[in-house]
Order: sequence, then C-alpha cells, then structure tokens
Amino acid sequence: MRPVANAPWVDPTAIDRTWRSSSAAPAERDPAVRHDAVLLHDVWWPLTEVGTSTVPGSEPRMVTEGLDEHLAHLGPRPSARDESGRDALLAALDTVDLTGHGGAHVPVAVKWRAALRADGPLTVVANGAESEPLSSKDATLLRQRPHLVLDGLSLAAEALGARRVVVWLHGDDAGTRRVVQAALAGRRAAGEQGPTIEVVSGPSHYLAGESSAIAQALHGGPALPTVRRPGKPGAPRTLVHNVETLARLALLARGRPAVDTMLLTIVGPYGRHVREVRRGTSLVEALHGSGWPASEAPVGVLLGGFGGTWVAWDDVLRATVDEQALRAVGLSLGAGIVAPLPAGACPVAETAAITAYLASMSARQCGPCLFGLPALAGSVRRLADSSAPRGERRRLVEDLRAVAGRGACHHPDGSVRLIGSMLSVFGEHVDHHARGRRCTGGVVMPVPEVAR
Amino acid sequence: MTRLRVDPVACDGIGQCALVAPGVVFLDRWGYPVVPEGPLRAGDVAAARRAVVSCPRKALWVEEHGRDERTVRPGADAVGRARS
Repeated sequence: MRPVANAPWVDPTAIDRTWRSSSAAPAERDPAVRHDAVLLHDVWWPLTEVGTSTVPGSEPRMVTEGLDEHLAHLGPRPSARDESGRDALLAALDTVDLTGHGGAHVPVAVKWRAALRADGPLTVVANGAESEPLSSKDATLLRQRPHLVLDGLSLAAEALGARRVVVWLHGDDAGTRRVVQAALAGRRAAGEQGPTIEVVSGPSHYLAGESSAIAQALHGGPALPTVRRPGKPGAPRTLVHNVETLARLALLARGRPAVDTMLLTIVGPYGRHVREVRRGTSLVEALHGSGWPASEAPVGVLLGGFGGTWVAWDDVLRATVDEQALRAVGLSLGAGIVAPLPAGACPVAETAAITAYLASMSARQCGPCLFGLPALAGSVRRLADSSAPRGERRRLVEDLRAVAGRGACHHPDGSVRLIGSMLSVFGEHVDHHARGRRCTGGVVMPVPEVAR
Repeated sequence: MTRLRVDPVACDGIGQCALVAPGVVFLDRWGYPVVPEGPLRAGDVAAARRAVVSCPRKALWVEEHGRDERTVRPGADAVGRARS
C-alpha cells in the first residue's frame, strides 16, 4: 500500500471544505449540495486500506437513516405484488431508462422482462460486494440508507415473484453487515410488509461480487464465476442488482427523481471520496470538489477503476459525468470510479502495478485468464522497467487480442481495457520506455500489494 | 444460425477439438481453443459438432440461433476482439 498523503498536488482548502461538509448534519449543509443529493452525503474512506479488510475505527463515521426517518421522508413503500403495481413500475423503468450501477449499465427493464419470460424458482439479490478495490460507494449507501436499498430489493422481489431474497456482501465487510441486519430487525419489529430478506456474506476475494459467482454460491457451489450454459427449463434462476440500482428503484416507485445523479468514488490525494454528483456535471468540476487538480494538472484519469480506461487530461477537460455521453466515445464510469494520476507519475509503471494485481486476482479457472493475465502483466512490467526485448509491444498487442472476451466473466477484459488504453492514450510515453528511458518515481495509485 | 461455444471454466486445454475441427477451432499460444465469434459457415457445422463430441471435458456446445446476453463493456473491443 502506498499512501499519497502530503503529496504536493493537494489543494488543502478543497479538502478542508469537503471534510467540513461531510461532518456536518445534512440539514446544515450547503443548499446546492443538498439539492443535488438524493441518495447520500459525501464521506472520505482511507486510501491505505484499499482491497483489505477495514481496520475498525478507521472507517468514516456515518449517520444511518432509521426506519422512522426514512418513512417520514419518503412515505410508505408502494407494493409491486399485484399486476398493476408491477406494470406501473415497468413503465416507469422504461420512461426514465434506469440502468444498473454495478458497472455494466444494463437497463433494469431488460433484465426484468427476461426474468418475467423465464420460469424456474427465482432468487433476487442486492449486490453490495464491491469488487473494484477503489470503490466504496455501495458500502457507503448501505450504511447511510439501508431502508432505501431494502425497499428497492423488496419491490424487485415482489414484481418478479422471487422465492428467495438476498443481500450479498463481501465477507470482510462487518460494518455494513451490522447496519443491514439492524435495519432488517427494525423492519420486522415495525411490522413492515414485504418478502423475507436474508443477509449472506460471501468470501472476500476480488471476484466474490461477480454476478455469476453470486448465483453459483447461492445455489450451493463455490463463489466463482461460471458460464451460463443451455439449461433445463424450470432450472433455478438468479437476478443480481447493484444496491445503488435498487435505491434508485425505490425512489422511482414513489415518483421521485431517480436518475438525475450518480454515485462516484473519486480517488483524492487524502482518501477515496464517495459523493453524489448531478448527471451532466463536468468531470473537472467533480474532481475540484475532491481536491484536484490543485497547482498542476494531472497526467490523466483512470475512469471505471482498475479494469477501466485511462483518459488523457485534455479529454477529461471535455468530459461530463454522463454515462451515455461517455459511452459514445468508448469510455465508461463503470461502477463510478474516477482516479486521477497526478503530475509526474508514470502511467506505464501504474499500469504495470495494476495489471500485476489483477492477474493475482484471477479465479484461475479459465486458461486465457490464468495464463494470459500474467503474460500481459509481464509485458507491461518489462516496458515499465525498460527491460523489454524488441517486439515486446507487438507481442503485448497479440496477447490482448488473445485474451479479450475469453473468460467466463469479464475479469480478463478489464486488464485488456486498461492496457489497451495505456497504449493508445500514453503511446508516446510507452515509446520512451521502449527506447530505454525509465521513470524514477514510485507507484502513486493505491494498488493493493500482490501476495506472492 | 448456429454458433460453436466453449465454456472456459470446463475447458482444460486438452486440444482435442482443434485436432478434429481444423480450420474451425484454433489453439491460442497457451493451448486453449479459439472458436469462431459469429455464426458458423454451413460447411463448418459438421466439424464443430465433431469438436463438441470429442471434448473429454464436455466444454463445447453448439447453440442454435442463440444470443450471448452478457454485455461487453466498452473498451473490451478496443483491440478489435470481443465476444458479442
């Protein structure tokens, strides 16, 4: 772990402003901020614990919304059990085009229609196991607004006729588990109507939040990704929704605006800043609020997390927090992660550290991932060290083609995306390394240590 | 429309498929099969079925007018290859 506190690019006034705003009660806060936020108030998570279980006491303090407060604020949850309730919800999903917030941005209505067409006992899952080590927006949301997420989960379960309803968490996220269990106990004590909800803690590894891994684990198998193969009609099915998606569903069902904002985790100089940003906000404006770029513009931004894409700073200046607009130019916020690379840092060395980490997180099930990711990581490492033999870059591009799309899950595709964007965005820098130049500074991104 | 599919979890890279379906199934440099991305040409269907039958791990199957419903995030095809 490489903390970057006290780094020279920090704008201390911005940090100070944000710290104050996050520690104040929501009602006392800046009206403009309050106006934007429909899901949560911003908090800072430590940089130093990325990808590890959180040390008790170092987690950000958050106020959990109680059931009374939740109901006073939003009113009772509508029911989706009968056909009219379900159809109204589906129509609303179509109107606002609610898409998933776990990273893939699949329209919720598409998933629902597929689920309603199929048969076989259905399990509906609220996925709060964030796989991207940089992301903490799902844990933050569950800790601040558990009832909003549980409402969304209940609505989805009712509308789709689920037999089993589950909140799925990372095994090491004890803090979130406590909050969710307390919220469920509160709902039972208040006599809230709705499906029975289980809390299941999966393992803590990187792929424990992958939807096919969750499905397999909930049906008695290991929590590892699988491929959907032609099954028997009537076989058990699992529908996984990200917790932010479900919170937005709960707002939508009450006729509240549900898609005007997006939850982001911005990797700032002092910590990871989880905040809600209005859709269409310029990316630079969002970064300003988290302490960037201070005196010197960053080299670029890693968008979408470790399995995301590098974006040159000039392109960041034109980008907005708008998934559709970003997709039109081949980018994605993924699960809402924005990680700037400060001036002076070496994008090749950062990519080498991240790809080594991603290779170590393979489930080791699929050949192209098991052998391909270490090969990719090795090539990038040699480029970073300026020890690459002739033809290394050509070999790297061939291996990217050989690995893309060939895993059971999309884990290998993340490495392909990251390295592909390094080659296209920082091609000149890669040239320098290929000619033997070396960058001296260390890695500044909070990449978890790779176990050997 | 017929497609040849491979389950990479089940596959152990034994390579029998490439032996019985040359020109349809290729092996990558680690010995794992690469199958055609799109629909099979009519002339390749028989070879694809041989590959399915030959696999000791039952990792291959033929899909009729099937669609892969999984979504590939943008960028995965930035280097020109993504299963869609």
